Amino acid sequence: MASAQESSLSTNSRDRSSIRNFFFSNEFGLLFLILVFATIFALLTTGFTSRFNLYALGRNISIDVVIGFSMMVVIVTGGLNLSVGSIGVSAVMFGGWLIEGMGSNLPIALILLLLGGGLLGAVNGVMVVRTGVHSFIITLATMSVYFGLMIWLTQAEAFRNLPPEVATFGRTKIYGYLSPLLLISLGVAIMLAVLYRYTSLGRNMLAAGANPTAAELSGVNVKRTFILCHALSGLLAALAATMLTCRTGAAIPSMTGHIGQDWLLPAFLAPVLGGTLLSGGKVSVLGTFFGAVLVSLLTNGLLLLQVSEFWVQAVLGALLLSAVLLEKLRNVVLLQNRFI
Amino acid sequence: MPLQKLLKAEWSGLLLVVTLAIILIGYLKPSFLTPFNIQILLAAISVNMVIALAQMLIVGIGQMNLSVGAIGGLVAISFAGLMDVFQLPIPLAVLVGLLIGLAAGLFNGVIIAFTGISAFIITLASLSVFKGINLGITEAQPFYGVAESVKSFGNSSFIGTLPLLILPALLALIGVWFLLNRMRFGRHVLAVGASPTAAGLVGISVRNIVIGTHALSGLLAAVAGMMVVARLQIGQPTIGDDWLILSFAAPVIGGAVLAGGHVNVIGTLLGVTTIAIITQALVLFEIDPFIVQIFLGLLILWAVGINRLRDLRLTLFSKPA
Amino acid sequence: MSQQITLKTSGISKSFPGVQALQNVEIELHAGSIHALLGENGAGKSTLIKILTGVYQPDEGSVKLLGQAVSFSDTKEARRQGIAVVHQERHLIPRFSVGENLFLDRLGEKAWSWVDYPKLHEEAKPWLAAVGLDLDPQTPVKQLSVAKMQLVEIAQAISQKSRVLLMDEPTASLTPHETEKLFSLLQKLKEDGVTIVFVSHKLEEVLQICDYLTVLRDGQNTCTSQPIAQYDRQDLVQLMIGRKEQIPAWQTREVNRQSPKLELRQVSTEAGHQDLNLQLYLGEILGFYGLIGAGRSELAKSLIGYFRMTKGEYLLDGKAIHVSGVSVARDRYAIGYLSEDRKSEGLILQHDVLQNSGITVWRKICSKLGWLSDQQVTNRVSPSIDKLEVKTPSLAQMVGNLSGGNQQKISVAKWLAAQVEILIVDEPSVGIDIKTKAYLHELIRELADQGTSILLITSDMPEIITLADRIIVMDDFAIKGDLPNNRNYEEMSTGIMNLIHS
Repeated sequence: MASAQESSLSTNSRDRSSIRNFFFSNEFGLLFLILVFATIFALLTTGFTSRFNLYALGRNISIDVVIGFSMMVVIVTGGLNLSVGSIGVSAVMFGGWLIEGMGSNLPIALILLLLGGGLLGAVNGVMVVRTGVHSFIITLATMSVYFGLMIWLTQAEAFRNLPPEVATFGRTKIYGYLSPLLLISLGVAIMLAVLYRYTSLGRNMLAAGANPTAAELSGVNVKRTFILCHALSGLLAALAATMLTCRTGAAIPSMTGHIGQDWLLPAFLAPVLGGTLLSGGKVSVLGTFFGAVLVSLLTNGLLLLQVSEFWVQAVLGALLLSAVLLEKLRNVVLLQNRFI
Repeated sequence: MPLQKLLKAEWSGLLLVVTLAIILIGYLKPSFLTPFNIQILLAAISVNMVIALAQMLIVGIGQMNLSVGAIGGLVAISFAGLMDVFQLPIPLAVLVGLLIGLAAGLFNGVIIAFTGISAFIITLASLSVFKGINLGITEAQPFYGVAESVKSFGNSSFIGTLPLLILPALLALIGVWFLLNRMRFGRHVLAVGASPTAAGLVGISVRNIVIGTHALSGLLAAVAGMMVVARLQIGQPTIGDDWLILSFAAPVIGGAVLAGGHVNVIGTLLGVTTIAIITQALVLFEIDPFIVQIFLGLLILWAVGINRLRDLRLTLFSKPA
Repeated sequence: MSQQITLKTSGISKSFPGVQALQNVEIELHAGSIHALLGENGAGKSTLIKILTGVYQPDEGSVKLLGQAVSFSDTKEARRQGIAVVHQERHLIPRFSVGENLFLDRLGEKAWSWVDYPKLHEEAKPWLAAVGLDLDPQTPVKQLSVAKMQLVEIAQAISQKSRVLLMDEPTASLTPHETEKLFSLLQKLKEDGVTIVFVSHKLEEVLQICDYLTVLRDGQNTCTSQPIAQYDRQDLVQLMIGRKEQIPAWQTREVNRQSPKLELRQVSTEAGHQDLNLQLYLGEILGFYGLIGAGRSELAKSLIGYFRMTKGEYLLDGKAIHVSGVSVARDRYAIGYLSEDRKSEGLILQHDVLQNSGITVWRKICSKLGWLSDQQVTNRVSPSIDKLEVKTPSLAQMVGNLSGGNQQKISVAKWLAAQVEILIVDEPSVGIDIKTKAYLHELIRELADQGTSILLITSDMPEIITLADRIIVMDDFAIKGDLPNNRNYEEMSTGIMNLIHS
């Protein structure tokens, strides 16, 4: 029967079309932009290709990537998590207290603070699922609650006497210009890619995010899946804040800004640039990674070009704006030429 | 009869809570009801009311505006800067401030209406743009040369303890109430919020309504920004940074439906009042001010819980006619 | 009956990328008449309606209103010229009053105009009276029943002095009693000179109230504005599908009814059913007939644990079970539900064929740690996909790009792959072509022959008489009775209608 041949062919044609599609993809576009800007900065500035700058850039990229992932894993559900910054700082302050206040050793404090972040995320998830209220308003409330609790409990005092390993790890250079933090973010990226591609849980997350009712009626436990997405988001936020602590060497209550607002822009920039659908059900781990790279690269290059750091924020906002507008335009053009 | 009508209003419970809180706090801490303290309280309520209205309108069309604070901040420093650096006369500075707010709101509205991209992302991006421009101009330094009459507007009072700042707030409050309850434009705002499809089918231009509402939101944010300058007596670049939570908390406490189509001006006023009283009380009882943040968050959660319950009760117990 | 022609189209053609939606379509509407517009899904009815109401502009051809050539640039313009449409779904603002909804587009001259509520509510009264609605115009719309909301929309349309009123499936969510009331209103409007276009799938209703008939098939006229009196039901079907409606000459099937596969005893559900009793036997096809809103889909969703059962006993193979969720129904008890609403409840349109057909089996075929590869899923689902002859360029094709028939095949394939023992099929042939429909019927029968118990929910009378071994009639969340199917169309349809009206 013809149809039998058709579907046995299908895996091949999937591979072929995916190679062709790569050149029309967001990821390719981002990679192209990254190369263009890297070239421009290398030519126009003196310090861009210096070992130290590449090292510092890598360190920033790795943190931005994980912040971006912490948002991406919730955007999958069609929701969002405004409290990533609050969760991140709360988790590392908790870790700092475990070490300085309780005399806990580093690995245990690390595990507990990551779990703590996951727990705060899970609390978001439970409230979203139970009340049916959009995650925007729930996480808007919890970003205030978590941050308030943290600042009240710590009395806004930083933990500066962390074990020396923390800062040493943050300063370690592999081959002179690679930060080990970059390896962590690569590891996270690979794990997430595997999660969405090669596990039943990851597929459930995508299905539940794309169409919760259809997924539920097909036997996916949507509520549990959504709670897990939020927990994962909390965990990754805690991880990102830990990496930031390694860079600064101390756990500081203001490290993510007032109620964690400073993380909002980088957290959304990376996944949105990377082509993650805000309505849920589609992610691009590679895209988010490239998105974060582009953001860090631009920040770094503009600062080297003597652009004041204040204007850099305006540029990043404009970047987000032009990214979503271009994406819209690209879809219109692709649709008209029937590429998709 | 008026009493019955009062009890039927959805904000009657909130009014009761606010009244009881004032009586209780006044009883425990007589300093709460001193003219000085009332003036501070009313000034805070006035400013926050305008901020909340700016957000409430956008919630009315079922969207959100993360850039309310950034617009307010940008207008605040422009207003102060024009007086400080260019010695612009006050009416002109106010006018330019309002125009900046209007333009910023139009910018948001036009992009959202014409591209259909989610208001969340657009206003997150414009937040950074406006905030970046703010910081780029000020380099994070305040403008100190605010005109004397603006300063005195910010800290004087009339009829005993009423701060002058209450006047623009009252104007905005009444204006928005009439807009949403009695004017064609406002009714169409709520219709679009409730169902853009239904509104479009009867021939309402959804696009124009979205643009107009964002423009108004920008205008109100501008008014709030300049009110804060008058109150603080300087043009701080950080003005607007802490508006986000507040701007959502008050309308939501006041009974706004986040999906759009239903907001309540009086409820929002009571929401703002609740927040101001709690903040003041924490100060008076010498409770850690950091707790305010926790309270704000919990208030939002409590309010969405209550709204949710009310919806459930309505769907469970109301039979179709 | 006045014979003035209100609206006339000639040679309307419209194409979309890859599809010729309408080709040379003609329709002629007479003032003071009810004109039936029939056609299968995809025949071009909705495209024609959208052209008449200004949503689309035709590629070729012309529309004449009262002899004047017109072209509507948008819906607003069409409304202004007196063409109103009452859609299948309700489009009102729930929190606004009836009166305000009625005049939503005429609240004031300018954006800043004051709305005069007392005047507005006063002016609403005659229009509400005209549609037989006896209620205070200040009542919020959300307090009305669906039928009354529909009347408000009709009042809205006639208050704009509409000459032409297009009604898209107006009876889809009405009770028989409400339908009768609507029909007498339509008769009255017709006598007042309004032209009504009536779009419906219910041929009995069409024959009952329409005066003229236009039928489309594959975007072309098969009948153009003819008086309907000369046609009977079979003629309509033939015009719509190109051949007579047939009940296949299949044998009546033998079902062993000794002990039920699935049984409900005095079950009440949170969806609103009270004290239901039901038996479904091994290899039986049990038909569930009823109108939309009768509570059939809700019962199906209660059986798979989507809604809770609040009372009574649920037995499978004679043993009491508790189904706490759809995943439990699927994995522990092998019960599956094929939703009636393929687009929003059945499929994930933006995902590909492989993901959609494999969603029910991921949990079963993944390793203990949850590992899963595309190859594993492909191996598991391709037998089902092949069996159903799904036409797709590849398994990586986005489901949203497939035709309705192929989408439905994928919905079926995912439950075949899950190897369920009880399959609930809800309105399986809505929006699919005749060939796929016949194919699905054969498949359902084949599954039952192999021992799958099928619960078939359908509002399509020929379908239920073709397939079911036994027919249960449901109305208003209660079971009105059951009939063994003798496959005689006249006898069975009379019996079913009697049960509904009893």
